[in-house]
Amino acid sequence: MTSDQKVYRFAYWFACLIVAATLLSGYHKILYPADFALSVYRFHLLPDFLVNIASLYFQWLEIVCGIVLLFIPKFRVAALWIAGGLLVVFSGAIGISLVRGTAFSCGCFSNAPDALPMSGMSLARNGALLALCGLALYAQRKWRIKLPDIM
Amino acid sequence: MRTTLKQIGIILLVSGVVALAVNSIHPRKIPWVQSWSDHVEARSRQAGIKVIPLSVALQKFQSPEGAVTFIDARSPEEFAAGHIPGALPAPFQTLEEQFPTLGNLIDSGQELVVYCKNRECDDSLMLAIELQAMGAENLTLFVDGFEVWQKYGGAVVP
Repeated sequence: MTSDQKVYRFAYWFACLIVAATLLSGYHKILYPADFALSVYRFHLLPDFLVNIASLYFQWLEIVCGIVLLFIPKFRVAALWIAGGLLVVFSGAIGISLVRGTAFSCGCFSNAPDALPMSGMSLARNGALLALCGLALYAQRKWRIKLPDIM
Repeated sequence: MRTTLKQIGIILLVSGVVALAVNSIHPRKIPWVQSWSDHVEARSRQAGIKVIPLSVALQKFQSPEGAVTFIDARSPEEFAAGHIPGALPAPFQTLEEQFPTLGNLIDSGQELVVYCKNRECDDSLMLAIELQAMGAENLTLFVDGFEVWQKYGGAVVP
């Protein structure tokens, strides 16, 4: 394996690990589903009947993606695409709420009432995670393309 | 690419099945569909009253003296047992007795933060609507209420 490939492989694993850890850190949504549903409601973007459905589905989609990124290498690329899609959706929702003006937390990492309200930092954090997803996908591609050359 | 799309589909499907299965046995399970329009927050929004959570209420509590006044809409007994320091008791049931004090507060232009017991009680919302009708513009509803304030270490005086 060339040094380039080692760097790409490291970047891929590193980015996957960070994204997985971030997704799995949302476990509190599963422990307290009603609190997360309230967070989703507070975005005021979905009709009433979709609030609980979306909150229950997204919390598990995050966890399943996190588990796949850590333990199922064959499905990692798919999980990265989904994680990227989720980050785009969440960032859009946060952006709209910031423009409208909100005093509430996004519920991303804590449902506690004393969690800080969403801000530009929430968007910056999502942007960084999205960049990590992109990095992982890019590094994986480079790594894979080069593998047959040395085989 | 086709394989990836297939795998994406599998992950999306598995997540849905897991969500369905876990929510059916979860000790704190929630209904898949519920009406949010009955909630105090939704009704406040409809009435055009700004709603804040504990984090923001705590910030407002630290504001310079005279900038913000907390108004307690709970019963006199609950107020006597403990309340936010400096809060004005204004139980909705005996509101008329408080009209002169509240009128002065509204005229002062101070921000008024109204609260009651918890997220489910609507006395604070009723009071806020009344204050709004009296001309209060700088008005906020602290939706988490006194129980959460106390639970998370907010200052309390008997």
